[in-house]
Formats: sequence, C-alpha cells, structure tokens
Amino acid sequence: MAGIRTRQEVFFNRAAIAGVMVALFIMLVPIYWITSTAFKPRNLATTIPPTVIFTPEISPFVKLFTKRSQLRDPVSQEIYDAAPWWEQMVFDGGQKVVRSNKGVVRRSGYGQRFVNSLIIAITSTFLAVSMGTLTAYGFSRFKVKGEDDWMFFILSTRMLPPVVVAIPMFLMYRLVGLHDTHIGLIILYTAFNLSFSVWLMKGFIDEIPREYEEAALVDGYTRMQAFFKIVLPEAMTGIAATAVFCFITAWNEYAFALIMTNRRAQTAPPFIPSQIGSGLPDWTVIAAGTFLFLLPVAIFTFLLRNHLLRGMSFGAIRK
Amino acid sequence: MALSVIARLDPGSRAAKRGMSDLAIRNLFIIPTITFLIVFNIFPLLYSLGYSFTDFRASTNAPAKFVGLDNYKFLLNDEFIWRNFTITAKYVIISVTGQVIVGFGMAMLLNRDIPLKGLITTLLMLPMMLSMAVVGLFWKLLYDPSFGIINYGLGLGKFEWLADPDVALYAVALTDIWMWSPFVMLLSLAGLSAVPKHLYEAAEIDRAGSFYTFTRITLPLVAPILMIAIIFRTMEAFKTFDMAYILSSQPTTELIAIRLYKMAFLEWQTGQSSAFAYIVLIMVVAITNLYVKYLNKVKER
Amino acid sequence: MKTNFKNLMAGAAICAMSSTSLAAEELVIFWAEWDPANFLQELVNEYEEVSGVEVIVETTPWSDFQTKAFTEFNARGDAYDMIVGDSQWLGAASTGGHYVDLTEFFAEHNLAEVMAPATVKYYAEYPGNSGSYWAVPAEGDAVGWSYRKDWFEDPAEMAAFNEKYGYDLAPPATWAELLDIAEFFHRPDEDRYGVAIYTDNSYDAMVMGVENAIFSYGADLGDFETYEVDGYINSPAAVQALEDYKRLYGYTPPGWAKTFFVENNQAITEGLTAMSMNYFAFFPALLNEATNPHAAHTGFFANPAGPTGAQFAALGGQGISVVSYSDKQEESMKFLEWFISDDVQKRWAELGGYTAHAKTLESDEFRNATPYNEAFYQTMFKVKDFWAVPEFAELLTSANQRLYPFIVGNEGTAQETMDALAADWEATFKKYGRTE
Repeated sequence: MAGIRTRQEVFFNRAAIAGVMVALFIMLVPIYWITSTAFKPRNLATTIPPTVIFTPEISPFVKLFTKRSQLRDPVSQEIYDAAPWWEQMVFDGGQKVVRSNKGVVRRSGYGQRFVNSLIIAITSTFLAVSMGTLTAYGFSRFKVKGEDDWMFFILSTRMLPPVVVAIPMFLMYRLVGLHDTHIGLIILYTAFNLSFSVWLMKGFIDEIPREYEEAALVDGYTRMQAFFKIVLPEAMTGIAATAVFCFITAWNEYAFALIMTNRRAQTAPPFIPSQIGSGLPDWTVIAAGTFLFLLPVAIFTFLLRNHLLRGMSFGAIRK
Repeated sequence: MALSVIARLDPGSRAAKRGMSDLAIRNLFIIPTITFLIVFNIFPLLYSLGYSFTDFRASTNAPAKFVGLDNYKFLLNDEFIWRNFTITAKYVIISVTGQVIVGFGMAMLLNRDIPLKGLITTLLMLPMMLSMAVVGLFWKLLYDPSFGIINYGLGLGKFEWLADPDVALYAVALTDIWMWSPFVMLLSLAGLSAVPKHLYEAAEIDRAGSFYTFTRITLPLVAPILMIAIIFRTMEAFKTFDMAYILSSQPTTELIAIRLYKMAFLEWQTGQSSAFAYIVLIMVVAITNLYVKYLNKVKER
Repeated sequence: MKTNFKNLMAGAAICAMSSTSLAAEELVIFWAEWDPANFLQELVNEYEEVSGVEVIVETTPWSDFQTKAFTEFNARGDAYDMIVGDSQWLGAASTGGHYVDLTEFFAEHNLAEVMAPATVKYYAEYPGNSGSYWAVPAEGDAVGWSYRKDWFEDPAEMAAFNEKYGYDLAPPATWAELLDIAEFFHRPDEDRYGVAIYTDNSYDAMVMGVENAIFSYGADLGDFETYEVDGYINSPAAVQALEDYKRLYGYTPPGWAKTFFVENNQAITEGLTAMSMNYFAFFPALLNEATNPHAAHTGFFANPAGPTGAQFAALGGQGISVVSYSDKQEESMKFLEWFISDDVQKRWAELGGYTAHAKTLESDEFRNATPYNEAFYQTMFKVKDFWAVPEFAELLTSANQRLYPFIVGNEGTAQETMDALAADWEATFKKYGRTE
C-alpha cells in the first residue's frame, strides 16, 4: 500500500484497524474470562455484574488437585485456625479436604490425568512424526504407482468420525486387552495423526532440493546416510511444526479418550467436565483445570505461528 | 493391499549401487505406514461391516444373529434418525456460513496496513487450537443465563441460550463460529495476499468501483482457497461430537455423531450402530472426495 | 543361557508375587461424582484402620457414569473391584455377567431383613421376586422437595394465599396443593417463580421427574412381571399425571428446559423458586451458608400424594456390587461384610450417607440429624422405580423422545404422547422377546 494515500484510504485503514480490534476483543474475551475465573474466589465467579477487578488467589488450583467433601455446617473456629492456609481456602468454600486414614491429603484425579495426557500425546506424536517423515520421503523421492490414490487413502483415514472407528476398535481392544491402556490410546492417536503427518511432511520434503542428496550420493553416501545426514537436518523445521500439530491434536482429543479409556489411562479432556459433578458446580475449579490444560496449547500456538496456515491446510498452502 | 505396493514397483527407478537399494528403502519407508493404517483403520471398518448385518449387542454374551438389511431398513425409516440428519444439516449450514462470513470479513480487514499484524493474527488463531471438549465446557459458563458474561455484555437479561430448545443449536453453532472463523480467516488471508497487486492497480487506473474490484478481482481469485476452507469445515462440522455433546444435550442439538454415540455406547445396540456408522461413513467419504479434488486443484496452481 | 532363563523366571515370579500382594492392599470402588461418594471415601478410610486394605472411591460425573461403567463392563476390564451402580442397571449387569451373584451373601447375613424392604427390592434383586441378589443396598435415595420457608411463612403471603385458595399455605400434602402453590408464587415480573422440576432429556433426569407424578397419581409404567404397558403407562391416571407435570413446567423460571440436579439446587441458592424437586443426596449443599445464602430458610418435604391418596416417589440410590472381572472378589466380599455391620451403617449415616440399613433409618438419631432426613425416611418406604431390564437404556431413549416434546415443546396431547410411548415400549419388549 505504498505510494500516495488518499484521504479515503486513510479512513478505510483506520476503520479496518478499529474492526480488527473489535474482532480481537471478541475472540479473546472468552479465553480471558476462563483464565481470570481460574484465579477468583468461588463467590466472585458467578456474580452479576461480572467481577473484573479482584484479588487473584490460587484456591481454585488447591481445590483442583485435592479431593473435597461438602460440609453441612461450617467448621469450628479452632479447627479453622489450626488448618494450613490452603486448607482454610477449602473451608471458606464450604468444603473440607478428604484425607486418607493416615492423614494424607487425597488428591483428585487431575494430576494423574494430566500426566496420562502428556505420556500419550508425546509418545503418539513421536511415532506419528517419525513414521510420517519416512513415508513422506518415500512418496516425495521415489516413483510410486498410483501415488495420488495412496495419498488419498492416507488422508481419508483421518477424516473418519471418531465414534465410527470407536465401535469396532472397542470390540477389537476388548479381544486383545488394550481397553483402558496407554498403549491402546497411543495406537489410536498415532493412526489418527499419521495421515496428517505424511501429508504435511511430504510438502516440507518436496521443498528440499533433490540436488543436495544427489551431491551426497555422488560423494559416496548411501541413500540411507543421505537421508539421515542431509534430508533430516534440512527438514527439521518442518518436523518440529508437524510434531507440534500432532501433539495438539492428541492432547485435545476427547471422544476416543471417553470411550476407550477408563480409570488407568484416561486423559485430561474427559476429566475436566467431571468437575461439574456434585450439587453445585464450582466454576473456579473447572476454570483452573481448563487453564492448566490450555496453557501448553497457547504456548505452542505462538511457537507455531509461522506454520499455522500450512498445518491447517494439510500442507496444501505454503507460505 | 500392502503387497500390491511391492508388486506395482517401478523397476526402472533409480537404484543405488551401495547400501540398500532405493526400492528397498522406499518399501521400508512406505509399507509400515500403509500397513499400520490398514490394520487400525480399514480392518476395524471391515470388522464392523460384518456386524452391521446382525443384531449383535456387545453388552451381552448372546451370539450375534444375522438379520440381513434390517438394521439399515430400520435406520432409514426411523423418524428420529431423520431428525438427527436434519439437525446436522442445519448445524453445518449455520456454522459454516457464519465462519465464512466472519472469517472472510476478518481477512479483508487484516489484508491492509495494520500495525502488529503478525501478533494480532497469532492471537486470533488461538481459539481454533483449543480442545473442542474444553471449549464446549467453558462456553457453558459464558452462556449461563444468570451470570454468563454474554447475556451481561449484550444486555440480554436472562436469555436462555442452551436451555431453550429452539436456540440451543444456534448457541452451539455460535461457539463453533467463534472457534473456527480464524481458520477461514487464515486461508482467506493466504488467498488475498496471493492476488497480484498489479490487478488492483490496473483496476484503480480504470477507476473501477470497490464493489467491482471485489466481485471481479478479489473473489474469483480467492474462491478456490475459500472453497477448501468451506469443504474442510463442512466435513468437520458434520462430524461434530465433543463440543455439542458437552455444551448441550437438547433433542434439538442431537447431531448424528451424538446419536451414534448414544446408540453404540449407551444402548449398546452394536449391530444397529455399526450400520448407522456405515451410513455416516459413506457421507463423509463423499465430502472427503470433494475436498481432495479441490486440494489437488489448488496445489496445481 | 539356561541359568539366565531360570533367573529371569524367578525374577518374573517375584515381580508377579509382589504385584499381587501390593494389589491386595487396594480396592477400588466406582461411583458417580457427588457428595455421597466423598462421604463414602471418608467412611472407607476407617476400613483401612481395621483391615490394612486401602479403599479408593473413584468417581466420574453423572453425565457419563453409565457410559464409563458399561464400557468398562463390556470391555471386561478389572479397573474397578466394586461399583455403586444405578438400580436400573441390575438387569443389564446381571444378565451380562458383570456382577457377582450375592444371593448367598444375602442369605448368610440376612440382608433381606437388615436392609429396608424397598431398597432390597429395587437395588438388589433381579429379576423381581426371583430371590437372586446382585448388590448390597448402599445409598438410599429418592426424589424429594426443598422449599423456601421464609416465603411460605411470610404472613402477607399466607393471608393472600388463604384468600385465593381457601386453605392455609403450608408445604403441600397433595399434588393439587403443589400446583396451587407453584401458581401462587409464580411472579415473573418479580423474578420469582413457582417451582423447579427436572426437564433434562438425557439419561433418566426428566423421566424421574415425571415418574414422581405418575406414581403418586396411582399409575404405573407397566406390569413388571408380564411387560404389559398398554393400559398402564397410557392409563387415564398416567395421562393426568403427565398433564399436571406439564402444568408445573408452566410455573418454572424462564427457559427451564434442560434442568437436572444442578439447576434445581441453583433455583434455591439463587432465590429463584419457592419449591424445587431434587434427589435427597443433593440437599447437603443447601444446608451450608457458604454454598446456599438462603440455607437458614430452606425447608424440605416428601413428594406429595396424588388425587387418590396414593403417595410414591421416584427412586434414586444405588447398591454396591462386586464386579465379576475383578481379581479381588474375596477382598471385596470381606469389605462388604464390614460395610453392612450395624456400627458402620450408623457411621455411614453420620457422615452424610443415606443408609439403607433399616435399624439405622428408623432411629430417632438419624431422623433428626438434618432438616431433610425425616422426609427422606418417610419417602424410602414408598418408592417405585424405572424398568431394570437389560434394555433399559432404549426404554429411556423412547421416553425422552416422546415426553420431552410434549412437556417442553408443547407438541401433541398427553394422551397421544403416552400412547406413542406405550407403542415404543411394546415394540422394544417384543424385539427382546419379552412379550409375544
């Protein structure tokens, strides 16, 4: 838009900036709201008018990680005073912390689910990206008859609605004992992400000039060595972007986790809604669980910002 | 299927003399993936194809009885299933239209000289990276009739977004629009920035109106990429499960994926739900086909 | 090589042994996420003291409790040793082989006498009157009502009510009075409404609400022996009950179209309605000032009688069953033995659990422990339940599909709705060969 600006143009530009600001505000308010709710005392979470200015506290996180039980009557002052600061926060909410027989504080399932999510997302990402990179290289550098058909086949497996796949997978996992195991979910997520990773990596590898490998081959490298020493380092950015996309997909997945896992391998997404559970929902706890869960994704989105377009279009559009 | 890859190998491909042959490497690289996808995606589907002709229930030990096409006949004649399809169609239309309007609109705004454009674009992308299930959950808080900030912000009093059966589907679609408009925006931006500058300059010299410029230059050139966004979103909206399931369980928001889930994992009508899954599958494959055709078209450009 | 192999085997054996001995110290009970589950966790802590076995109560939200339980059963998983399952699961879980038969355990401990009769009938026995038992009644529950005492006792309101209806304003003893009071307090311009009822069409929420009316009106869902439904669910009494339930819907706060226990408790805490239907198990949150600003003014009453004087309530509550895929069934039985003893049941009630233990229930101590225990006690002797057949989920689906559009969407008449539902249920029973 260089050159001489007319008055009209300046006006349009200002209007556009204003419009963008409004859009940005609308897009970010829900995220801001869930974040701020995660730091509110319970009685400020559901006020009208909404509470915007408040003293942040971490009681929602204390509650998120502990098992609590509803008190019918407030505790006596002595018990309250004798309790540690974090337990007082729970008392303030009309609840008490559940302890084991030996006095150990019982933790809620959130921590374990979070760890499960990490294990499953990281492992499946590693598998999907490594297999995907190899396959992408195969399709990129060698002639494969019916290449388009194979690529379509690979893509189509990604498009299946999870519940459609879950019905037979449930029966098969029951036969082989993979129900409610980490491996079971890792396999499903790997299969789900593999097609994506092939498509995206093929685009990245197509961009690496063949001449680099040709030169290496002439220098006496084997094809394998050329792949590992020349192509892989060149493709590193692409691999990192693909990995982050796969991680986010696996991290966010809900339907398979809901159906195929139970107590041992369940990930965080089906667990967070469970905080809605008893008599009256405590939105601050739900918000705290959501906030922690969204944090890695938000960070990754920033790291990925230059590859978002490419990833979201399955590598069709490069920039 | 995997074997046919080997059989179809082109013997004329360049085989290196040292180490593994190119042929071997290619097979080593490709076949495991293809096999993996067949074992974990195609084989299960064949498995459930068989069950779709039976009255099998995974919840009992009773053996499956062959019932022919009864499941398919029942499903296609069931008024409630048709309602689920109608609801889904309505949902897809509302949410995809909304996303195109909002997303393309935002792209038009952003396709100018805007300070901090990179940062703003990244921030706008945030919603679509989040988990659908978790988004559904926290929009419940935003939609709450008594203390939700949407009613407060818009001054709607106690408007029932999710409880009113007639509004709930729009509420779910609105959340989807919030989440996925950035996707349409992202693709549209790519399309817009690819429009050669000289076309605009030429239009300016011809003193063409902005409406003319938009309909004759911008739109036709962005259309293919926009089409990709539309088909992709249609496919995804058609499959919607998590968000709608968590946000609302009104009969008026019972999308096919939700009905399928209930039939399979609440009622345990495994045979019937396998048949249902196949009906859904055929539709998804049809949309996917369209999608891939367009992808290839765009790639060729 | 050979010694290596031997070492390996020995190592494996030690591992296997240590893992089983470790496992024996832990029992997992699966339940839904609500206060009683936390109370149970406190109770079982005391079991650890006696036996050294740690018992963990694992919970999941109500909305996916059924799915989670049945995916685990149908996957034949052993993640849970015991489960506190819904009463209508009995058929599916016993015929599917998921529950361990507890008939002998029942006889040995004379549980049919020790536990309140209604809880034995609905939480433990399947098929009805067969003498086969699958669960130990653990948490009795039924639908009751909470109300705003301060509104009811306001002299101005009392005078106005008496003038309009010709009798004194008090917690309703009949459904006719309930309807009057709901109408009386329904004042949308003051942001005050008559009543909060269940309208959520997922799982059994709304069906339980409608059942309260159907049962008290003297009607039934069907004949539980012959599976006949025509003439039961669409009988004049049942149709009248549905019509009145729909009338109640007219006195709910705006958009009260997707509500279950959470919303109905909020109706009281937010000062929206005069009366609110809910399971007794959700009432503890209404007693505490920290969670209910109107705690001091909240009262409770049992589901009122119908026009014929019949008085029943829809049953909630669960029994503990031993999961047949668990490898710790013996340990679980030992735990159940401890659980049913008089002292433990008394302690269970003190902690806030709704015991099904007849002696504890009848004690004055229990009946005076909270403002709602008396209403609970009265209710537990007049409860009825939904079908407990294996295909209950399909029956619920049809009920939701038929009832919801009538109550909330104003489609069709009560008679048409019930006729259609009777036809659906007949078709389902026919499909599973229960009727000709």
